[in-house]
Amino acid sequence: MHNIYLIFRRDFLGYVKAWGFWLSLAAVPIFLVIGAGFGYFAASSSPVRYYAVIEPSGAISEAIDAEFRRSEERVIEDAMEIAGGMDANMSEMQAAATAPRKFIEVDAPADSIEALRPYLLGEKLVAGPDGDKPLFAVFLLTEDGSALQYWSTDVNVSALRYAAETAMRDLGRRDALIAAGLSADFLKKVDEAIVPVTAFRLRSEAEPETGGSEVTMADKAPAMVAGALAYFLWLMVFSIIQYLLMGTIEERSNKIFDTLLTSVTLPELLAGKLLAVFAVTSTMMLSWGLFAGAGSAIAASQSPELMEMIDPFIAAVTNPGLIIPALISFILGYVLYGAIFMALGSLCDTIQEAQTLLSPMMILLMLPMFAIFVAFQDPGSPVIDYASWVPLFTPFLLILRIPQDPPLWEILAQMALMAMTTALIVWGATKVYRAGAVHGAGIGDLVGMVKSAMGMKPKAS
Amino acid sequence: MGDAPLVMSGATKRFGAFTAVDRLSFEVPAGQIVGFLGPNGAGKSTSLRMALGVMAPDEGEVSLFGARPDIRNLRRVGFLPEERGLYKKMTARDTITYFARLKGMSAGEAKARANELLETAGLGKFKASRISKLSKGMAQKVQILSTLAHRPDFLILDEPFSGLDPMNQQTLEDLIRAEHQRGATILFSTHVMEHAERLCDRIVMLARGRKVFDGTLDAAYATLGQGARMAVEHGFDLAAALAPKGFEAHRAADKGPGDSWRVDLPRGLGAQDVLRAALEAGAPVLGFQPEEARLRDVFVALVGEAEAATLDVPTPAEVVEAA
Repeated sequence: MHNIYLIFRRDFLGYVKAWGFWLSLAAVPIFLVIGAGFGYFAASSSPVRYYAVIEPSGAISEAIDAEFRRSEERVIEDAMEIAGGMDANMSEMQAAATAPRKFIEVDAPADSIEALRPYLLGEKLVAGPDGDKPLFAVFLLTEDGSALQYWSTDVNVSALRYAAETAMRDLGRRDALIAAGLSADFLKKVDEAIVPVTAFRLRSEAEPETGGSEVTMADKAPAMVAGALAYFLWLMVFSIIQYLLMGTIEERSNKIFDTLLTSVTLPELLAGKLLAVFAVTSTMMLSWGLFAGAGSAIAASQSPELMEMIDPFIAAVTNPGLIIPALISFILGYVLYGAIFMALGSLCDTIQEAQTLLSPMMILLMLPMFAIFVAFQDPGSPVIDYASWVPLFTPFLLILRIPQDPPLWEILAQMALMAMTTALIVWGATKVYRAGAVHGAGIGDLVGMVKSAMGMKPKAS
Repeated sequence: MGDAPLVMSGATKRFGAFTAVDRLSFEVPAGQIVGFLGPNGAGKSTSLRMALGVMAPDEGEVSLFGARPDIRNLRRVGFLPEERGLYKKMTARDTITYFARLKGMSAGEAKARANELLETAGLGKFKASRISKLSKGMAQKVQILSTLAHRPDFLILDEPFSGLDPMNQQTLEDLIRAEHQRGATILFSTHVMEHAERLCDRIVMLARGRKVFDGTLDAAYATLGQGARMAVEHGFDLAAALAPKGFEAHRAADKGPGDSWRVDLPRGLGAQDVLRAALEAGAPVLGFQPEEARLRDVFVALVGEAEAATLDVPTPAEVVEAA
């Protein structure tokens, strides 16, 4: 253990003393802050724009306004669903979810495009609730009423046009129904008679029913936490490639293995190295997690409702039924992939040679990523059930399946299979590592090594 | 097997169809300096790697302090590999400390030892310098110090002099003698015979993976008869002149006035006999020196001229220059 610690310590300090580590560590929070700030700035700095509707009845104007109101209501409903089951102050939630409208209708200062041109070009201003501004857009109903023209100097901002298109579709449907003899009151009754679809979850007797049967965030949190863990494992495996490849190449080119192997055993060397890279990536991700946690804590201290929203996630993370199988999968998955990458790195003499290996490794890693995506969409999919038996995918997919309560025997069998595969891979990787690091074998010798391991005689050269 | 630092018994190592080391048997007795000699590719490094347990022999046995090489008995060994390499971003002191700790020293002891060794070697000012910032010679010194840091009982040095300038070669020779005086047993491989002649109590010679000699230096020299070096004017055929008198002469590559020849002395005859014979044959002698046997000559006699040609033997002028 002492030797493993010494190898681990040297490698870990070697990585964390490098500038690249600190740059990577700082990059995520910095970009997160910049990204969030940029998003907030983009949203808050988006100007209030005026538009006018030129049509005799006022119906289009009313329909566009109604469409904006519906959008705002949808935002509030989404916020309520996320905060489902929370004892929140609804009027505060409503206020928080509703952003000031960015498109405001004003009276048209003229009734033809020619006359409105100076207003649209900004040469003249129109009065409105946000002060005097140029007209951003004008809707003009053609004389025969067959088309609604949209005029603006900036066609890239399309939110207003899309809102008008939706409004016109609703208006057209309503007009057609009225023309068919149905009254406006009747249509209102139809809208009110729509039966809402509410989600409920049938709970087992063992489960607490604190929130009733209605689906709340507490029901969704385990799947979300499992997804985050699977993605976290994938990200970690993805990030270790360069550490393991480059680190091993450096030692191979430095011809240091013989010296090391007269002081430590090969398994100690491998274990120390894998632990060091694990610690480096964990340090990075824990730091980012702490950053996110600190941000959430600060936000929660400002809003008790947010604290209630975080609670189900904390409960999921601390649930042994989820976290223990997830941790086992996580560790076995890390060791399995880490051993593969380290063994391959030991066969490379140069960074260029290692780069040729990166492409197949990326493809290898994209496969579980695709499986994670599928599992997010449909965790109960038979494809995921079958794929989770493939040892290279098991670490990711077993984590994702846990919240679906798969049979216990399946969990245990997949864990056993994963453990056996990991042991086999580590055994093979040790052989390859010894051949590469100690005997100087290269990528070209890999086939011969596999044949030799399988008891087949390589062809005499 | 006793508790000798190293005993190899019939050790064989093959790489595919190629036999790198063939039934090698020898012993390194405690307290001796043993030279492991042979040309490049003779199997020296492979043998040393087997001695250290880095490679397992395909046949035969290796015993280190009376047991198979493992991490426990390897703690008593200091190893300097032929292909040198250190972590370039580590400092000189951290490097020595690290390797000493891997050999079982405590952190404090290893650090103090590193400071002491660096000061002694004149590298005190570079303690905190990264290896990448040191000159090649300094980095090699740091690696050698790393090998000695844990005060090993047995030092195995694979081509320790290669890449060192004459000054540092001398420093290393002194260091090997100092370690020997401390009580360490030393086995070093080299293809430069002069180092072995100056340092070794005994030598093991290897050619094409096979042992060709194992014994003391005196025993090695005893395998050859005596000889003499003679310089004559250009163009004079000394071999033809001495052949009727029973002497065999060979052209030598020594630099100096005229043509240089080495004359073998038949048993029972002395150097003065060959000089007399040459003068009687009318040889225009410019220089004459009775010659004692050299390890290279021993090696030539044992394995043949072609094999010996791969040995790195400096000319007399180079030896003078290096000194």
